[in-house]
This record gives sequence, structure tokens and C-alpha cells, in this order.
Amino acid sequence: MTTLHGDIHGAHGHHGGHDHHDGSYLERKGGMIATIIDWATTIDHKKIGVMYLVAVLTMFFVGGIAAMLIRYELIDPVTIAQVDGASVTEGTRLAALFGDKDMSVAEADRIYNRVMTLHGAVMVFMFIVPGIPASLGNFLLPLMLGAKDVAFPRLNLASWYVYVFGSIFGILAIVMGGVDTGWTFYTPYSSSHADPGHWRVVFMILAAFILGFSSIFTGLNFIVTVHKLRAPGLGWFDLPLFVWAMYSTSVIQVLATPVIGITLLLLVFERLFHVGIFDPALGGDPVLFQHFFWFYSHPVVYVMILPGMGIISECIAVHSRKQIFGYKAIAFSSLSIAAISFLVWGHHLFTSEGELAATIFSALTFLVAIPTAVKVFNWIGTLYKGSIQINTPMLYTLFFLFTFSIGGLTGLPLGALATDLHLHDSYFVVAHFHYVMMGGTVIAFLAGIHHWWPKMFGRMYNERWSMFACVLVFIGFNTTFFTQFFLGTRGMPRRYASYLPEYQTLHQISSLGAGILLVGFLLHLALLVGSLIAGKKAPANPWGGLTFEWEADSPPTTHNFHHEPIAKHGPYAFDDVVPPHCDPKDYPLADPLPEGAKAH
Amino acid sequence: MNGITTTLADGFWHWLWFEDPAKNNSEAARIGDDLFMYIFWLSVAWFVFLMGLTFYFVVKYRRVAGRKLTRSPAHHTPLEIAWTVVPTLFLVYIFFKGFWGYADALVAPSHAEVINLKAQKWAWRMTYPNGAESTLTSRFNYPDESGRIVTSANEAPVFVVPLGKPVQLRMSSIDVIHSFWVPDFRTKFDVFPNRYTSYWFEAKELGDHVIFCAEYCGDLHSEMYAILRVLPEPEYRATIDSWAIPWPEGPVAVGKVLYKTKGCVACHSVDGSPNTGPTWKGIWGKEHEFEGGGKAVVDANYVRESILVPATKIVKGFPNQMVSYQGQLNDRELDALIAYIESLGDNPPAPGTGHGETPAGEGK
Repeated sequence: MTTLHGDIHGAHGHHGGHDHHDGSYLERKGGMIATIIDWATTIDHKKIGVMYLVAVLTMFFVGGIAAMLIRYELIDPVTIAQVDGASVTEGTRLAALFGDKDMSVAEADRIYNRVMTLHGAVMVFMFIVPGIPASLGNFLLPLMLGAKDVAFPRLNLASWYVYVFGSIFGILAIVMGGVDTGWTFYTPYSSSHADPGHWRVVFMILAAFILGFSSIFTGLNFIVTVHKLRAPGLGWFDLPLFVWAMYSTSVIQVLATPVIGITLLLLVFERLFHVGIFDPALGGDPVLFQHFFWFYSHPVVYVMILPGMGIISECIAVHSRKQIFGYKAIAFSSLSIAAISFLVWGHHLFTSEGELAATIFSALTFLVAIPTAVKVFNWIGTLYKGSIQINTPMLYTLFFLFTFSIGGLTGLPLGALATDLHLHDSYFVVAHFHYVMMGGTVIAFLAGIHHWWPKMFGRMYNERWSMFACVLVFIGFNTTFFTQFFLGTRGMPRRYASYLPEYQTLHQISSLGAGILLVGFLLHLALLVGSLIAGKKAPANPWGGLTFEWEADSPPTTHNFHHEPIAKHGPYAFDDVVPPHCDPKDYPLADPLPEGAKAH
Repeated sequence: MNGITTTLADGFWHWLWFEDPAKNNSEAARIGDDLFMYIFWLSVAWFVFLMGLTFYFVVKYRRVAGRKLTRSPAHHTPLEIAWTVVPTLFLVYIFFKGFWGYADALVAPSHAEVINLKAQKWAWRMTYPNGAESTLTSRFNYPDESGRIVTSANEAPVFVVPLGKPVQLRMSSIDVIHSFWVPDFRTKFDVFPNRYTSYWFEAKELGDHVIFCAEYCGDLHSEMYAILRVLPEPEYRATIDSWAIPWPEGPVAVGKVLYKTKGCVACHSVDGSPNTGPTWKGIWGKEHEFEGGGKAVVDANYVRESILVPATKIVKGFPNQMVSYQGQLNDRELDALIAYIESLGDNPPAPGTGHGETPAGEGK
């Protein structure tokens, strides 16, 4: 593919001439110390996006290690054997790893419970909630809008520091001995029973509280940016679907996060000052906490998945060179998912709330399934008559359709009351939300990272090896989590450090899958880091995308564009428009547009 | 097997999901399993269709250099309406099936044998109608990979229940939230420290079932299991009678004593005559109307609330006089008072459920 410089918007061709010098945002500004200070004080959304990417992927690594430890412990059950007339505890693998092999069962379980909490809390609060919006969203949103930066660049930098500050609190809680409340902090266990008198539980709660502010800052920033900083001619229905997804996500972040903030503060008050809010022993109500908690945490499930859906919409259109099927249906389904998501929290309480509430929440839960299903149909419809290129981002996109469909369909027996009474709090739930969160969000995140990697860092990754790593991740993921559906229906409860022997085979297959998954992720890491060192230089528009970010250089200049871009066509008008920086020879257009006709 | 479709293929898939359909021996389990298998096959059909279509498109429309592309519409309203409405119809059907099954699984028949269940970190306790508690424990023994016999870490209590008779558990916790789950019965319900929740089943075959705690509750959460043993009814009666050591008088007799010692007698009669507060005679299962509107059926949760937070619901025609007994009565005493009020109802628990036929009698 040739890179044309005199492209349709004349964005290029002015290099070094009359324009003021405007180099790549990655250009170093002096020595090591100067560069560090430059990054630490930057208000450039691209640098903040990259800093977020490094931060959230670091937390993904920490959470991933905890996941591996969980799978390691669950290779065999905890049992007691008679050896030479004495009772010996066996199968306490984490105890053997971290302390004393001869620990009691209770002590060994205590280690597992901390690792399990660490995995959940880190993955949810520090990785998947901020993940895509703060990293790819920060980097791409202004570019996609044709803007120089987000609306409030300083607030953007502040959100990163708040994120790091919150994460430090979380790490501190872990270093001080860990927390065993589960990431859900259910009362009265978390308020009155877990590690009484210890500050680390308070620290973990405060970490989640502080991280919430980071979310609110980012959400607020994005909403204002989308409203105020769109390039001339860029109407709401000309926005890339990734921007729609970011917008819907931001609305949820701004509206739901304050609720968890207040709830967590109440929890801290109850722990420290014994104000009776959730603990019945002090006159409170434990189910109240669950309502408050899920009033935030269910909408936040969509904060986790909507950005992933946005990435999939971009990838599937660009790599199929096809107008997205049902643009408005996808855009509005994002908004309606955001709206309905506030009304379904009660399905986390089917086994605790009253019959009437359970019935209403079951009905509302099925309602949210519809816009989600519509999106999947639209994505598959986009493939029809496309020109489909299989590369790493597209392969991940197709795997997303596979795993996310399983995640969605296994939500049905959990939304139906009669079947949920059995499956609630079992491994079926664990498998279901990993198929949605990991098979959905993480797979989409990986698609997005590869799709925009050339844009972000100006380097191409190794396509062949990355596709191999992608297949490893896919196989590892399904081996790990598909087995857990069977564990759940067969009666294995979640959050167990041990189990009855009939579950052992399935647990061992699951642990094997986790090993494959780890190899896949490490290979990806090596390939991406390797591309920065030895990758081929990336062209400005390697995939032939039509949205504004592909008009910018790879990597973009500090001010993003050489001239303010103007929207002249829809984001996916592949039938009619040769993408910026691309050779028309590579684009056998469908039927050329009649003279004077307007593109979509 | 109860109505499980008997084709070979479906039998295999049912086995894959649930292992042993023979243990699926309660009515709720049958409804749940049938609905699950329906959703499963429906999901398989949708999934295979969608993935087949995706695969076909990816192969057929893969990028080939120089291939002339043809336009296709960017949206198609009738198609989009169809793929919104059709799944909606399926979802409505699943919702209603789920709701009916849930109602059956949750609402206990009125003639059920009521057993009190207490959960605590990390044990279950059942108190039978005669006041007895289980004294039997057991470990799981099984061969490990090298063929040695090893045992489970926890010594699980064994609870007995009668065969072919509905059993209702009146559940509460003394510390944190737990959840009572018998996977073989396909239902669970959470157990709270500040209210009663209910769980019922009717076992149709003899045998043992495992009880798990399904709500994370701390250190030994994963060892908090017990065994539910289904016995023929006469054997069940004999067993609980043989256990009836700790509370020989039974909860009704204890409640009757508490009624006098805790001061209830000052305001509440047991012969139907009005006093400062409403009488206890014949109120169980009836509706109380309240000052300022609203009514509620007198049941265990209502009585508990009226004792602990009396001002919440004031019965019509009575003054708001009663003090809270929060902290004055323990859970066992509350259970006893509830049992006593229940025994004063128009339909006291029938003979044979345990009340009134304990060895020591209840002194009625």
C-alpha cells in the first residue's frame, strides 16, 4: 500500500515549510530527567492516554498474577490424609508457596481468600473500569473529533494522578497483609467481621473511593469534549461509534460513581465509628448495602463493556471496509443500554430480596438483553458484502463475537428466576461474567490496542506472531472458563478455596487453560515491546480507516493535526471515499458515485 | 427423572450439565432443569446460526486483491425490526417460565414441617420442632490420585429430613450473611442476621445431599458444608427424638415461660381478651390492620419485627406503647416466642409435626 502525501484534505505536504515546527508527540524534549518531567507534567491527552495504558496494563498484570495463584490453588482440593498415624493437611498449595506447608486449613484458606479478593478488586477497580476509556479513549477521542485535546486537559492529568494515588492505597492494603472481603465488600462481613481493628480494609475501601473520582473526572471531560470540540461539519450522526460508546460510558460514570462513593464512605464510618448502617448488630440492614453497591456496580458493568463494543464497531467496519450496518441502531442501543443499566441492579439480589422485587428486576434484566443482541446482529450484518482482511485486530473482533455471544446467552438462565436460584453465586456466574468481561472487554481491548498501536507509537507489530498469540489467548480463555459453566451447574460454589473431589477434573482443565492464557499474554507483551524497538515504521493509515485519527501522522504530532480537519463524509463511507493517505488504486470502489452526489 | 426428556442426546447433555439426574428429585429441580435445558438448546441454535453466518461471510467476503465490491444497504428497517421483535418474544417466554418456577420453588405449602435453621461462621445448625439438634457428624472419604483414602477437611454435621413430606426451613444467621444451597434441589436462598428467610423442598428419594454455603463468609467459607439425609418418616421421628436432649421442653413450652418472665403477659392476653396490646390468641396467619393504613399477615418475620422494633407497625385501635426488646432476647428466645404464638393460632401445627408430642410434653 502506498502512502500518498497530497491527500484529499491537504493535511500533509507542509512539512518544515511555512508551518511552525510540530513534531511527533513522542519526540524527546532533552535528557532523561527533562523527559520524565515533561511526561509527568504533560497535559497532552495522548501522553496521558499512554501513561494510563501503562498503568492499567500494570494493574492487569498484578490482577493476572492473582488469577494464576487462584488457579494454582484449585488444582487439587484440600484434604486430610493419615500418614504414619498422624493427620496431615494436603492440597494447600498457596500455604506451601507463601508460608508453612503445615498450616491449618483455616490459615491456608485465609491466604486464598486474600488472593481472591486481590484479583477481583484490582481487576475491577484498577483495570477494567478505567481501562479502555482512560487509555484508548483519552488517546483517540480528541483525534476522532478532530480536536487538539480534551476540553479540560489539566483535569485529565489530575485524573491520572488520582488514579495512581488510589491504586497506591490499594497496593498498601495488599502489602499490609491483604484484605479478604471479596471485591464486593458485602456487609456485615466487611464492616464488622473482616480483620477487626485493621486499617488495611479501610485502605482498600478508600482505594475504590478515590479511584471513583478518577472515573468521574474522565467521564465529565469526555462528555464536554464530545459536546463542544467536534470539528466543523461533524454532526452527532457523523461520530465514530467508538465516540458514541465513550459518550454513553461517560454518562454512566458521572451518574453512578457518586453512589458508590457515598456507600463506601458509609461503610468506612460503620467500620471506624460503629455507626449502624449495614450491620444488624448495630441496628443496620445488610441488604441495604447490596442495593447501594449494585446500584453503582451494575451500571458499571456497562462502563466495562460499552467501550469494548465501541472498539468492535470500529474494527469490524475498517477491516471489512464496509459501512457499519445500522449505524443509528448501534448508537442508540449504546444509549439505551446506558439508561436501562440503571434499573437492573436487583438481579444481583434474586436470592436475597422479596418476590415482587425479584420479578420486576428479572423482567427489566431481559429488557437490557435486547439492545445487546441487536448490536451483535448489526456487527454480523456489517460483514455482508465486505472486503474482510484477517489480521490481529480483526481476528480479535471475530473472537469477540464468539465469546461475547456465549457471555450474553449464558446471561439468560441467570436472568430467569427459576434457574438463577440454582446458578446464583456458583461457578456458572463466574464463567458468565468472565465471558462478558474478559471474552468481551479484554478481547476488545486487545483488538483496540493492535488496531491503534501503529497510530499510537508509529510502529507496526509482527502480524504473524501476534495472530498466533491471539489464537493462544482464545484457546486458553475458552479452556479456562468454559469448564467453569459445567462446574457451576454441577454445584460448585464460587469463592471456594477447596472443593469436593467430584469437581477436580474440571478444575484441572480450567487451570491448564489459565496456563495457556498466560503464555498468550506474555507473547503479546513481548511482541508489542519488541515492535517499539525493532518494528517497521507505520504508515499514517495502515488499515484504510476513514475517521479523523487516520488523517493525523503516525504517531500524531503534538497538536494532532497540521490543519483543523473538516468532516466531508460519514465515518464509514467506504463505498464512496478513498481513505486519507491511501492510494485509490487499492480501492476498487463499488459503483462510483454519480457526479455531484453526496457521500453518506 | 421426572419429565426430563428421555432422548439419548438430551440425556447426554443433561448429564453433562447436571451429572446425576437421579438426584434431581424435587419439583423445583424438575422445573429448573427443564427451563435450563430449554434455554440451552435455544442458545445453541442461535449461537450456531450466528457463528455459522459469521464464518460464511468471513470466507466468502475475504479480501481478494482487485475484487470488485458491490454496494449493500447500510440498514434495512424490516430486517432490523424482525431481529428485535423475535428475540423479545423468546425472552418474554423465558421470563414467564422463570417466574412460575420461582414461585413454586419459593412458596412453601402450608402443611410443611417447619425446621429452624441457624447459620454461623462456619457451621449450619438445625433445630427440630421438638427442640432437638443434630449430634451426628460425618467426613467425606475418598481415594486420592495415588489411591490412598483421604478425608474432607471439615467434619460436616448430618441433618435428617423426612421422605415425601414438604419441609420448610425458617432460616436466620447469628453473624454475617450466608446462603443455603442444596445443588441437588437446584435452589438456594440467602440467610441473614436480621430477618427470617424461607427455603422449602420435598425429597422424593432416600439418600444424602450436600449443603453448601454460597455466600462468601470468611476464612472457612469453603469448608462450610453439611449433609442432608433423607429418611423414611418414622425413622426421621425416631432420630430427632433420640437427639432431643438440649431443649427437652420444646420451643413452645419455652415460649410460654418467656411470655410470663419477659413481661409480655402484662399487655398481651392469650385467651382472646383485649388488653394494652392485641391478644396472641388466634392471630397466627391472620391479617393485622395498622394505624395509618396497611396490613400484614402475622408470620415469623412480622412477630420478630413487632418484638424488636414495635413502633414500625401499630395494630389499629391500639396505642404505641411497647418498648423495643432489641438486645433483651436472643435469637433462640425469639424463636421460642414465635413458636408459642404459632401454637395459639386457629390452626396450630398438626399433631405429628413434632409440637405437642415431645417426650416431655408441652404442658398445654
